[in-house]
Amino acid sequence: MKLARRRFLGLGSAALAGLFLKGDKRIEGSFVHDSFPRGHLLRGRAGFPPAKRVEKIPVVIVGGGIAGLSAAWRLRKRGFSDFVLLEMSSQPGGNARWGQNEITAYPWAAHYVPVPGPQAAYVRELFEDLGVLKNGQWEERYLAFSPQERLFLYGRWQEGLEPVIGLTPKDRDQFERLENLFREFRQSGSFTVPVELGLSSKFQDLDGISFSDWLRQQGCDSRLLNWYMNYACRDDYGALARDTSAWAGVHYFSSRPPEEKGPLTWPEGNGWITRRLLERVGGNIRTSQMVHRITETRRGASVFAEETEFQAQFVIFAAPTFLAPYLLEDFPPLHDFVYSPWLTANLTLDRYPESRGAEPSWDTVFLDSPTLGYVDAMHQSLRTHVDRTVWTFYWALAEGAPAENRQLLLEKNWAYWKEAILHDLERVHTDIRQCVSRIDILRMGHAMIRPAVGSIFSEERRRLRRRNGRILFANSDLSGISIFEEAQYHGVEAAQKVLGRLHG
Amino acid sequence: MGILVFISVLLVAACGLIYELVAGTLASYLVGDSVFQFSTIIGTYLFAMGIGSALSRYIHGGLANRFVWIELLLGVIGGFSSALLMLAFAFTQGFELILYALVMVMGVLVGLEIPLLMRMVRDRYEFRDVIAHVLTFDYLGALGASLLFPILLVPRLGLVRSAMLFGLINAGVALWSTFLFVDQLSATRGLRLACLVVLCALGTGMAEAQQITATAEDNIYADEIIFARDTHYQHLVLTRFKDDLRLFLNSHLQFSSRDEYRYHEALVHPGLAAVPAPRRVLILGGGDGLAVREILKYPLVESITVVDLDPEMTRIFSSNPMLTKLNDRSLLSPRVHVINADAFPWVDGNADSFDFIVIDFPDPTNYSLGKLYTTAFYRAVSRHLSAQGFLVVQSTSPMFARDSFWCIAETLKQAGLETHPYHVYVPSFGEWGFVLAGRHEYKPPTSLPASLRFVSVDGLPALFQFPPDMAPLPMPANQLNSQVLVRTYENDWKDISH
Repeated sequence: MKLARRRFLGLGSAALAGLFLKGDKRIEGSFVHDSFPRGHLLRGRAGFPPAKRVEKIPVVIVGGGIAGLSAAWRLRKRGFSDFVLLEMSSQPGGNARWGQNEITAYPWAAHYVPVPGPQAAYVRELFEDLGVLKNGQWEERYLAFSPQERLFLYGRWQEGLEPVIGLTPKDRDQFERLENLFREFRQSGSFTVPVELGLSSKFQDLDGISFSDWLRQQGCDSRLLNWYMNYACRDDYGALARDTSAWAGVHYFSSRPPEEKGPLTWPEGNGWITRRLLERVGGNIRTSQMVHRITETRRGASVFAEETEFQAQFVIFAAPTFLAPYLLEDFPPLHDFVYSPWLTANLTLDRYPESRGAEPSWDTVFLDSPTLGYVDAMHQSLRTHVDRTVWTFYWALAEGAPAENRQLLLEKNWAYWKEAILHDLERVHTDIRQCVSRIDILRMGHAMIRPAVGSIFSEERRRLRRRNGRILFANSDLSGISIFEEAQYHGVEAAQKVLGRLHG
Repeated sequence: MGILVFISVLLVAACGLIYELVAGTLASYLVGDSVFQFSTIIGTYLFAMGIGSALSRYIHGGLANRFVWIELLLGVIGGFSSALLMLAFAFTQGFELILYALVMVMGVLVGLEIPLLMRMVRDRYEFRDVIAHVLTFDYLGALGASLLFPILLVPRLGLVRSAMLFGLINAGVALWSTFLFVDQLSATRGLRLACLVVLCALGTGMAEAQQITATAEDNIYADEIIFARDTHYQHLVLTRFKDDLRLFLNSHLQFSSRDEYRYHEALVHPGLAAVPAPRRVLILGGGDGLAVREILKYPLVESITVVDLDPEMTRIFSSNPMLTKLNDRSLLSPRVHVINADAFPWVDGNADSFDFIVIDFPDPTNYSLGKLYTTAFYRAVSRHLSAQGFLVVQSTSPMFARDSFWCIAETLKQAGLETHPYHVYVPSFGEWGFVLAGRHEYKPPTSLPASLRFVSVDGLPALFQFPPDMAPLPMPANQLNSQVLVRTYENDWKDISH
């Protein structure tokens, strides 16, 4: 075959272009698990088909996150299986969802549970059930392997996230002072997990001001200290210290004994717990069931999902509480429920980036980054030799108003967020673009409840917790703090109440 | 006089090529990857020669004087290049920088030589004769050097002295030139004096070369490298000095063939000989087949499973004649099953039971290897131990890394095993330790396989005695979430080396 001269030149330049482009690796990916197309249907309250079937069932759980799954777990554990759990998305787990590729399982949101203290009795019971706690010993494989955390600051790495490099005597003094204050709060016994067990009006004042104002009152103006406090608030609440109740800020540092064990974690994060719960209650779960109306009657409640009406005696509403006004008739609008928007991304890495001066750690954070850094899914692997991995990248859009950030999440396309993520990583890992082959992104408009000023002692919240009708609320947002233990506590508590009233 | 000029050309060309070969060979020895080293060094050298030739046009007057100085300079730099590079590798971080800088400088000087020489003799001959003769002798010199280098120089003189010998030749050409071109020279006496100084310096260097090499090689590998490979998992280097073969993994000595029998006899026999009727044995790590060789001395053992991460390692120790001689072709025995897998996941995913388990991993120098020394790992391994079985762990040196040794013992204890630590003296390692562990009491065996060279029934009890400087220390157990051992080990060895 004779190659036309032009064609030959074309091939030649293509080959040359191939040589030049070699440095820029192609990165695939997309948005995943988008929930707002369905969620936004509720806002219109319209277009849902009338029920074609009626199912009578004593208990309906709405929402398959940790709260709903925990309610189901408690019901089954007490020998009660006459219930259904309705989950809107195709995959249960909520903030404890996970993903899986050919390299490893990885989390989509929450990725660890701190070793529970004695007050978190339900969590301990669950972990005994799951083989995490055996004869008073925590299973070593489920504790975060060492080295756990590293922080990149001033061009170098340090172990641990609390800054220790470049502290002035003033910084050191403020860190120490704050630590002493937190110790006193801890010893007061009022800052507990779950929150409800310790809640005392003695510290209600703290809920009246922001964490940043409180820090200022304590004379804490150290830049590094404020960075660390803001990091903590962004990490647990998706909010800056100035948008966080001082009570919640204190709770972050004072609710747990400072422990060396390291949190409990798994490659797929809290998805591991979801998987174990699904093994136990999966038979009662119906996925892709969008609940669009709930009506309360004298002897029960009806839950309308897709084309079915579930006639129940009790409903455990474990979905985020902000949905209640859209689903329940005559439900007053909520004022004290503000949610933080988040973005998480899972990056597939074909190799680790060069990182001099630090062993790869479980959790990596960069000083002064707007993001929260990333967690390495292969860190909990038992292998000695790991080539490829998945990093879960966390980004609470804390700066600015939540509504505006939700808009931003919706408007910007995948390529925009991909670039934003790579830019952030590139500041430290200069060769990251040669390592990453895929970036999948999860956008969550209402990722977690925000403990804004006044929200912990909110009257509205207290009323919902004490509610005694046919519909019981169970989401972690009832505590004002979105953590695993709170979700599990409210789920189990709701299940207990239902069991008590069914048999009582 | 014509032929003498052209012999200078021949010698000068030989010198130039030798320096290039020395640089390439040294870089291949020290850094590995000979294809890359030779390609880049030849390329850099030729390029630098081009620069030298280009620069030659800026040299106008005093050609002969300049030529003599260039020869002297080349004699010094080229002559000492090999020694300099060895020392640079042994004592600095910037070996590559120094290597290529040196190659550049030598290349530029060599590139200047021929153009200058040609111009110096152009009045004596026809232009076409100059070209033909100079180039002929240039290529002849290169041929001579390239044959001499591998056949005579490297084996007889070694790299350091070969370079110095040719430095001497360079300086000799310089001295000779002061007579050959005396009519074109000025300040001849000074030049000759400089030549003598350089000759003396290089002569002294030749005499002291042994010392220089020894100093540098003490810091690198003591011996000739006969095999070096970057496998997917590790950097594997095999060296030989006379009859002593040594294996290094990531620069850590794994064994010396002169005394490895002490290590491997001590690793295997105290435990295995104490197991009644052992049939199935598991080795984790140990892809060199040396522990297998010892285990094959037990006729009752029906099957030996070797789990080693690196297929390249087990392949070399199954096929290289020097190595199969060392391990008695143990890996090729029909009783042996080699599995290339990561140990922890393999142990987790396998359900077989074994009467004796050998855990022979590299020392816990990093967090990845540290996982193989944790309570979690030992618990997982001990599930494979039969009722009468024992396992043994190579546990680094109780002398040099005393904390680490007792940390490993404590870790085995907290994994629910009864431990029996012991130690032996292996000259190439020093005092070395092992921990034998099981679920029941240990009684030293009363009989051992015949023909052991080190372990004996009478000598066994003494191995379990620890003198005060290696006596037990209270240490925490090593766990996945603490990895205290890696930190301890780092401190232990830091204390020794500083």
